[in-house]
Parts: sequence; structure tokens; C-alpha cells
Amino acid sequence: MQHRPSIIARTWSTPVILIAILLAVALAAVAAGSGPFNQTVIEIFIRVVLVVGLYVFIGNSGVISFGHIGFTCLGAYMTAWLTMLPAIKKSKLKGLPDIILNAKLQYGWGLLAATVFAAICAYVIGKVLMRLSGIAASIASFAVLAVIIQVYSNWDSVTGAQSSVVGIPIVRTIWPYFLCAVIVVAAAYLYSISRSGLALRAARDEATAAAASGVDIPRERLIAFVISGAMMGLGGALFAHSVGVVTPDTFYLGLTFVTLSMLVVGGMNSLSGAVLGVVVLSIIIQVLRWLEKGIDAGFGVISIPNGVQEIAIGVVMIVILMFRPTGMTRNRELVWPGNKLSADAGALPSPADGKTLKT
Amino acid sequence: MNQSLSASGVSVSFEGLRALSNVTLDVPRGKVTGLIGPNGAGKTTLVNVLTGFQKPTAGEVTLDGEPIGGVPPHKVRKKGIARTFQSGRLFQDLSVLDNLEVTGVGLGLPRREAAARADTMLEWIGIGHLAERMAGGLPYTDERRVAIGRALMLDPHYLLLDEPAAGMSAEEAQDLASLIRRIIAEVKCGVLLIEHNIGLVLNICDFIHVLDSGEVIEVGPPSVIKASERVRHAYMGTQAETEGAVL
Repeated sequence: MQHRPSIIARTWSTPVILIAILLAVALAAVAAGSGPFNQTVIEIFIRVVLVVGLYVFIGNSGVISFGHIGFTCLGAYMTAWLTMLPAIKKSKLKGLPDIILNAKLQYGWGLLAATVFAAICAYVIGKVLMRLSGIAASIASFAVLAVIIQVYSNWDSVTGAQSSVVGIPIVRTIWPYFLCAVIVVAAAYLYSISRSGLALRAARDEATAAAASGVDIPRERLIAFVISGAMMGLGGALFAHSVGVVTPDTFYLGLTFVTLSMLVVGGMNSLSGAVLGVVVLSIIIQVLRWLEKGIDAGFGVISIPNGVQEIAIGVVMIVILMFRPTGMTRNRELVWPGNKLSADAGALPSPADGKTLKT
Repeated sequence: MNQSLSASGVSVSFEGLRALSNVTLDVPRGKVTGLIGPNGAGKTTLVNVLTGFQKPTAGEVTLDGEPIGGVPPHKVRKKGIARTFQSGRLFQDLSVLDNLEVTGVGLGLPRREAAARADTMLEWIGIGHLAERMAGGLPYTDERRVAIGRALMLDPHYLLLDEPAAGMSAEEAQDLASLIRRIIAEVKCGVLLIEHNIGLVLNICDFIHVLDSGEVIEVGPPSVIKASERVRHAYMGTQAETEGAVL
């Protein structure tokens, strides 16, 4: 019998390639110097965190969640509460418990607290939600988002309700964001090659057969839900520190739509798809933003009406769904050429006989 | 102790429709038990009851004497009762190796060990060369073998095969028969074989139950089933004369 290399030996090239892509983006930002481009790159890293967070749950379980941005909201407010100046909190957010009111933590601790808090909330919510599947689970997840946003939009003394919470310390260097994106990509990779990841992908393909193979589906789903909830919370906290302001509306349908589109365009069932979806759509969005503002092309200013950006994302998504429903990556992972040993979902090469997989 | 998987007095009703009524069946270890009956007789429902997918309305399911009614499917598998499905139900987007590995992981093994066991199982079953193929593109008979391999991971005590020979040629059915004999000889589990291929059932089963309209109408070794007038009537209907030649 042949000796089979370990799963890591077969699939390590995927996270390495993805991290290399992120590093290239970061270096491009450094090369271009500071300024607005810096902010764009920070946004890309935050979206990588969010979309990879979505992938961990949606990609592995096959259950579409519309509620994940709720955890982003939880994370963003958590770091705001912990890192703002006590004086501001005492005037605007009087309802916070004393221990938080008087706290003034470094943003690193804020990120950590946001991640843990979102994970705990995901556990409690997931405990109930993971018993549902298919469309029922998706609708219920949307309900969770609506509940979270409503609570944060109305709990005046703790969240400032509809008004913006300002005064969150702003972090302008790209490296903390880059580091978080790398950590999230690595964690998502490790999850997808883990026992739970394999079991969950089996349940995605054939829930009945997975149960008959000894897989406790609600349990595996819950594990993925908590990990992805934690990532969404981290993404929210990063967002809060990138702009210094949070409002509940930021974390509602707009962000849900953008992040889900990126996942779908890239390829829902692959980590590479999540990362590439972010990078490609972010570039399109950025170019359109410049055009909306107007670009001086020598003979006059070229500009397009506001809102074209959102329309363009919609169009890209429709085109992808029509012509390539499995996304840009066709749900495969990027692998180093010549490293195509495995057919695990951690790294799907094309079948040796040249047949294309249709799913 | 009685080493068998048993259903006693099991009834299942779906909104008034009786799928099974008062069915008693015994699957002893180390033997092949056949379950035959016309379409809609309730054979798959019975397998679902035995594996936790269907809660019986009445009656009891016991595993080596221990009641297991109401135990969820993944726990039933952990207790050593494995099954296959009529439609294969492979994990299409996973490789053949991973299909088997899922059972290993589901039963608590780390991935490395699960993969090693899966490799061994694929070799044992004679499809080692398919390990890295995607399960989605497999031909029919290979698909069946992968499904059986997936169920056989970590040597279950009982194996329930739901129409494994459906759509197979006579020759392929012969291969299946010898595989089942090897399973009995080497894995030593109890096998419940549901089949429409009566020849195969009469050929390899030690004991046969005949189900019709949710009721057991005949029980016995192949010779008894062959001779039974009731079976002939219920199962073959008016075709008894022509089919009789095959028997």
C-alpha cells in the first residue's frame, strides 16, 4: 500500500499563496506611500477578515447565513466601549457598567475582547440556530441580525442608539490589519483541514449520509459558527479602529450584501474564493469610487453618477452566477503547480482524467 | 447474551398511513439476513427505524439486548450499526478517500489515522486505485463499493445494505455476493441485505424475512421462502409462473 503524505503536506500551499497575495497588497500600499490608498488597503484587509469569517461557516456547512454581520456589530461596539476615553463614555454612554466606563484599554485588547465576545454570542445563538437547516436556518440568521441591530439602534444609554459613537482610537498603519487578515486566513485553513471541517463538508454534500457516518451535524455546525462568529467580531473591531466611528446602520444590509457578494463571486466553498473575491471586488469598487468622485483626464473630468458602485457589484454578481455559479475559483483552492496530489476539499485539483466537475 | 440487532413489534405510521405494522426481525452477528418484499412494502422504513432515522410509533429496537429506540443516527453509528443508502449518497465534492475518512473522523479518530484506515479499507475492498478520484464522477458500481467501504470503516457490528445490487449486471451482482461473503468471514458483522434481486438473496442469505404492505408475511431459510405459496402470491403476483423458473 502506498504511503500517503499528511493532509498538511498535501495542502499547505493554499494558505501560503493566499498570504502571499495579501502581502503583495500590503507592499503595494507601502510602495504607493500613505494617503487614501492606505485606507483602501486597510479596508481590503478588514473585508478579508469578514469574508473569510463568512466562508468558515457558509463554505464548509453550505448553510447561507444572513446574520453574520450582527457579530461584526457586536465586535465593533465592544472594542469601542473598551478603548474610548472614559470621559467621552461618561457623557454619552452612561448606561455602561462601571468597570467598562472607567476602562481605557489598548486597541489590541479591544480586538481580543471583541473576538471573544462575538464568539460567546455566536455560541449562545448557534446553540439554538444550528438545529435548523436550509432556508429555515438562513431566515432565522437574518432574524438574528435584525434583532441585534434593533437592540443596538435603540439602547440609548449603552450604544448611543442611532447616533454615531465617536472617539474610538484610530489605527492608521496597515500592519495590524494585515496581521489579523493573515491570522484569520491561517485559522480558516486549519479549520477546513480539521476533523470538524471535513465532517461539516460531508454534511454539506449529504446530510443524511454524514449522520449515518457518525457525524453529529449540529455540533460540527456550532463549532464552525463560533469560529466564524469570532472572526466577524474581530472584523467589526478592526473596522471601528479604522474609521473611529460606529453606528448600527453600518452593520446592516449594505455590509451583509457586499460581503456575501464577495464570497459568492470568489467561490463560496473555497478559502481561496473568499480571499480572491475580496481582492477583485474591492479593486472594482475602488476604481468606481474614484470615477464617482471624478477623474481629471486632461480634456475634462470623467465622472459617473453616485451609486454606480453598488449597481456594478450587483451586475458582477449576476454575471458570475449566470456563467460561473461556483465562483471565480470554481470552489477549488489555489495550489502550487505540481503539488496537486490531493483531492481533498482543502485543495481541489482538477481530476486526472480531465473531466470537469459540475456542481 | 443474545448478539443481535432486533426489532420487536415495530409499527410506524405516517399521518394515518401504516408503513410498518408489528414487525419483528432479528439480525444476528456473523450471518446474512435477507429482507425482501415488493416496492412500498416498508423495507427502507424498517432500515430507517433500525438506524435511528425514523422513530417507531410503537415497538422496540434493541442492540445486543440494549434498547436503542430514539437514539439519533450518529449515535447509532457509534454503537456499531452502519448502513448504506439506495441512492448511494456519497459526498460528491470529496475524494473517495475522504468519503471513507469522514466515517473515521465521525467515530472519533484523528484525520491521519482515519486516512490510514480508509486506505486500508479501499485496498481491502479492491478500489485502492480510486482513492484520489472525486466521488461525484464515479461509475455506478464503484459508487456502490465506496458506499459499502464507507459503512464498513472501523468494523461495525452490523451492516445494513439497502438495495446494493440495484442496477447491477449479473456478473457485478456475483462480485457483490462474494464481497458480502468476505464481510461475513472477515469483519464478522451481521448483515441485513435488502434486495430486489431474489436470486442474490436466496443465494447468500442464511435467513430471509418477507415484507408486504408493512407486515412480515413469511420468515425462514431460503428453502422455505422458495417453497412458500404466500411469498409467491404476494411478491410475484400473477407473474409467479414465469418468475418461478428463475427461482
